[in-house]
Amino acid sequence: MERISAHQFTTLGAAVLLGTTFLPVASIVALVGGRDGWMSVMPGFALGIPYSLMVLSLMNYYPRKNLLQISEEAFGRWIGKLIGIIYLLCAIYLGGLLLGQVGDIYQTSIMPLTPLWIFFLGGIILVLYLTRSGIEVFGRFSEITFPLIVVAILLNVGLSIPRIEQGELLPILGEGLLPIFKGSLKVIPFVMTYMLFLAGVIAYLPTDKKAIGQLKTGAWKIIFWAGMLDTLIALIQMLVFGPSETIRLVYGLLALGKMVEVSRTVSGVESLFLGVWFAAAVIKIGSLLFVAIWGLESVFGLKGVKWQHLTAIIFLGIAFKNVRAPSLITEIGLIDEYLIMPFVSLWIPVLWGVTRWKRGAGN
Amino acid sequence: MDVFSLEEESGCLMKSCREKYMTGLMIICLFLILSISGCWGKREVEDLAPLMGIGFDLGEKPGTYLITQQYAKTKKGGNSGAETEERTLGAEASSVREAFDIVSKAAYRTPFMGSLKVIVIGEDVAKAGGFNNMLDFAQRFAEFRRSMYLVIARGKAEDVLNLKLRSEQLPALYIRSIIEGGNELSAFPMVRLGHYLTVLGTESTAPILPVVEAVKDGEGIHYKAEKSDEAGEIRIEGAGVLNGDQLVDFLNDEETKGYMWLEDDVSNRLINTVDLKESNVKFSGQVLKSSTRYKVKTDGENFGLNYQVRTSIAIDEVLGLDRQLSGTDWIELVKEAEGSFAKVIQQECESAIKKQRELGFDFLGVGRHIEQRNPRYWKNLKERWKQEVSDFPVSFDIKVTVHNTGMSSSSATNSGGEGQD
Repeated sequence: MERISAHQFTTLGAAVLLGTTFLPVASIVALVGGRDGWMSVMPGFALGIPYSLMVLSLMNYYPRKNLLQISEEAFGRWIGKLIGIIYLLCAIYLGGLLLGQVGDIYQTSIMPLTPLWIFFLGGIILVLYLTRSGIEVFGRFSEITFPLIVVAILLNVGLSIPRIEQGELLPILGEGLLPIFKGSLKVIPFVMTYMLFLAGVIAYLPTDKKAIGQLKTGAWKIIFWAGMLDTLIALIQMLVFGPSETIRLVYGLLALGKMVEVSRTVSGVESLFLGVWFAAAVIKIGSLLFVAIWGLESVFGLKGVKWQHLTAIIFLGIAFKNVRAPSLITEIGLIDEYLIMPFVSLWIPVLWGVTRWKRGAGN
Repeated sequence: MDVFSLEEESGCLMKSCREKYMTGLMIICLFLILSISGCWGKREVEDLAPLMGIGFDLGEKPGTYLITQQYAKTKKGGNSGAETEERTLGAEASSVREAFDIVSKAAYRTPFMGSLKVIVIGEDVAKAGGFNNMLDFAQRFAEFRRSMYLVIARGKAEDVLNLKLRSEQLPALYIRSIIEGGNELSAFPMVRLGHYLTVLGTESTAPILPVVEAVKDGEGIHYKAEKSDEAGEIRIEGAGVLNGDQLVDFLNDEETKGYMWLEDDVSNRLINTVDLKESNVKFSGQVLKSSTRYKVKTDGENFGLNYQVRTSIAIDEVLGLDRQLSGTDWIELVKEAEGSFAKVIQQECESAIKKQRELGFDFLGVGRHIEQRNPRYWKNLKERWKQEVSDFPVSFDIKVTVHNTGMSSSSATNSGGEGQD
């Protein structure tokens, strides 16, 4: 069975968590948190730490098993299967929608006349190629691309500093702590989507004592890096656009990329940023394809290349079904908030609690 | 033996199938990468007409706008590839897209919006209001950038963009150059589309745009005009205060300069005390640096905003000094100069505040400053801010430091006293 190292787990986890979240995060937190919305990213992401530690502690009890297999053991076969089906549905539907979003981003911003199927097909073939190559290759791919994604984001943020508007950040905490709390609730779905991946990838993680310690540190690092980058993105958008524009802009980071000018010589560098972000989208969709494959295997025992292809085709079908950008973006928000978040936020603690209780009773 | 060879054979077959499959995938990926390079939307640079400026005036038919588009065309026989000549076309339409559609039928190149530098809003459109509808295309269509500049034209935008400038530059590029060189003057605001939209999003602040005008010979500037009744120069002076997207009034030069101090938007300024009556000796100088901070002051019941302006100036010119001064006298005179400069700055700030009170629109962002410094008080005030804006107490604390007086101390005088009073 394949294995990924603790370092690969950290970069892969951070890349999956960051995924495509850096595009809507500023708008989402500003909508509920106003000027202070940017401060709600880290508290929201921080919830990922106890969840990650719970998953990793379950891995201790059931080495080489994913959470679906553990659920079947803990809750019984049928409840386990039911959980697996919900897990599968979440992954397939969100994966398809995110594939659709890739097309929307590129068509809206730099290639308005290129047909959507080019982006869909290009994206899904790359994702399929990576998933067929296995989790180890996927991990190595993230080790190479994640630093590039980080550099592209930092460059975009840094080069936007000359566009900062005076005093847009003030007053800080003018409305108290409530907006931060509300904003945090809005970013929790991002963390829960990452948990879907973590629930499956644990079967491929090393289980020796030293590695467990490294994985726990990695879990902290994942949350910290992805949270910090998303915070930085939300902050720069607030500083440049102010709250009402941050809310209004569909892809604020792309608008920032378009505003980057170095003297009069360098401008229009958003295409370069978008090239790197394609890798982020591929990692995110790839992670959901992995989730779907693990789900099929655990729930229905369906293994093999043909099921991977079939899942990829379903992704494509969902992307083609959702070509209206406003509905697509709303749909992603709804799935995140009303399906994935409640499901994962209940599933993992209950599973952890039941397992601990059973272990305690057994002793 | 047979079993082993069969297993080996099937293993080889699987391996070869896998290799073929991966090769096939690679070929498809390569094909898609080539397709993504832009076959569908590909446009050669030579086929593009870069849009440099766009102007909005009211159309003759109700609900329409005269939309003037200024494109750059490489000058044939120019000394360098960067030399351009203008190609300005206008169309009356009810939407900007429609105007581009009309113009595209006459243009032999495809308009490219990504190069747009300046949007000129005609006075009639600004006064009528509703030009945000015209800006929607510029902030929505992905080719545009939010970094383009917005100006209001005195008169028609079409006339400004159609000017034959003595410098032979495109009016749109000329306006861009004046704006970008504006830091050295800090006499008018630099407003990009992004900034305008951000200010529009704040409920309490009224947006402000710089005013561009065609200048004929003798209208403040003297030059040798080719035709006496035609303007050959462009100037940016003053600003227009907007209520939403409707022009309320113009600010004169002094009021605009006051706005610049209060907005902490002064980098370098040329400043003189010539109009001050209190002193016989007049000074001119350049602002080296300046910062404006503000505080919400309260005595428990009443609130007020206090602006603190701190400015460093280098004296470039001393007028009316008719005798050589001793070292200590020169120091005293420099201190006097600091006071005189501070008075000029205060006059400019006061005239901006006075205008704000007259208009009843908070273009100085006083409300936002209160919100930033005292959000709790702002919560009580914001509902009645429109009524309060004209009376809200504002005070100034201006300190000027003269850093140097140029290459000499006292001015050159006739030592014998001849020719001196």
